[in-house]
Amino acid sequence: MFEDDVIPASILRAKARASSGKSSPLEEEVVTLFDQLRDRLLRYLLSMGLPCSDGEEIVQEVFLALFQHLQLGKSRSNLRAWVFQVAHNLALKQRNASRRDRQNVMDEALLVNGDPNPEDQFAANQRQERLLGVLRALSGQDRRCLSLRAEGLTYREIAQVLNISLGSVSASLTRSLARFARADER
Amino acid sequence: MSDQSHLSDQDLLRAADGELSPGRSAHVADHLKQCWSCRARQRELEEAIGEFIRLRHRSLDPVVPSVEGPRARLRAELAQMAAAPQGWRARWLARDYAGAALSLATLVVLCVALLHIPGRSQRLHAVPVFVPEPNLTPGAVLRVSREQLCQSAGAKNQAVPVSLQRRVFEEYGIPAAEPRAYEVDYLITPALGGAEDIHNLWPQSYSSTVWNARVKDALEDRLHDLVCDGSVDLATAQHDISSDWISAYKKYFHTDRPLEEAR
Repeated sequence: MFEDDVIPASILRAKARASSGKSSPLEEEVVTLFDQLRDRLLRYLLSMGLPCSDGEEIVQEVFLALFQHLQLGKSRSNLRAWVFQVAHNLALKQRNASRRDRQNVMDEALLVNGDPNPEDQFAANQRQERLLGVLRALSGQDRRCLSLRAEGLTYREIAQVLNISLGSVSASLTRSLARFARADER
Repeated sequence: MSDQSHLSDQDLLRAADGELSPGRSAHVADHLKQCWSCRARQRELEEAIGEFIRLRHRSLDPVVPSVEGPRARLRAELAQMAAAPQGWRARWLARDYAGAALSLATLVVLCVALLHIPGRSQRLHAVPVFVPEPNLTPGAVLRVSREQLCQSAGAKNQAVPVSLQRRVFEEYGIPAAEPRAYEVDYLITPALGGAEDIHNLWPQSYSSTVWNARVKDALEDRLHDLVCDGSVDLATAQHDISSDWISAYKKYFHTDRPLEEAR
């Protein structure tokens, strides 16, 4: 219940330190990327079924790894895909370490994390129920392709993150959306 | 869309996503100008995208916390890494092995204890924890004002869920700890704005030291009173109790040892 507004006490201490010293251009670059990508990355991790606190931890790890990556002078090509790829791998590792039911994680992310207001739940129309049904029926990879595309990644970036071919990405997205489009016909 | 004269869903989607080659893209655009069926189909796919996006945002956006706290945390960590790059490398490498190392360290401590205290093997779990480990329990607070905290006068710490207690014991390398020997305590008490978050919880021994859980409870009560009567700033109280609660006790009780009634 506190997650939305929790501030680590270390931050309170760090603020004082940070205000006195200037950060390096590399630090600023990483923070700028963090501002651009953090929400998208966290949504993707949540859609993989991770609890918000675990997602936040992974996001932090990813951007610290990015800092190290850049500090070591490694490739700067498509850092957005790199960031999602590292996050994806860490999330899989985290999930493998836990005993959560993988089949239902997306459902959990969408249903349990959804608006808990009973009135809103009643207001959810039949079409939404059907869409959730379609979503449940998708394979894990299809859901991830959709989720990454929803966060603005190109097909090539999605292929890199999920380590699949460009054609597979295209086929996956088309298959999923065609099923969504058919939801009314059921 | 099996009719060869029409565009496939894949072409329609790739065209909309800008994923076609220029030549193919021009062909699709020409076809769409002429073909109402394909335009209608493209619209159906766009509507499916729209519905998925709405479903997604409605479900996930409410649970994505504000970026300010995580950004500040990242800045602090980056500053540390920038200052000690070698330390960072060690930290990164240590990630996977931290649990094993902690367990090993605990085992070593237990073995030493067994050598010196024969006959206590049945109490392996009673490894006293006197102070919170800063890496595991840096503290975490809520965005609440002094007024909000002081309105709920006499607020007591909420019981920490058992599952969370177990995680705390595991983090501290004492998964088989005897719950009665410890209070899984808030480093920063909720009465001072502390959060029910694993970063703000640690297993504090009740009895193995003079600086035990009951003594800290007394400090928490004192700080709450001081904050509410305006003698101490809330941020100062949070800082002091999370940095070194024993020093904070000495500071606010003007003593080098716990007062008798707190022990």
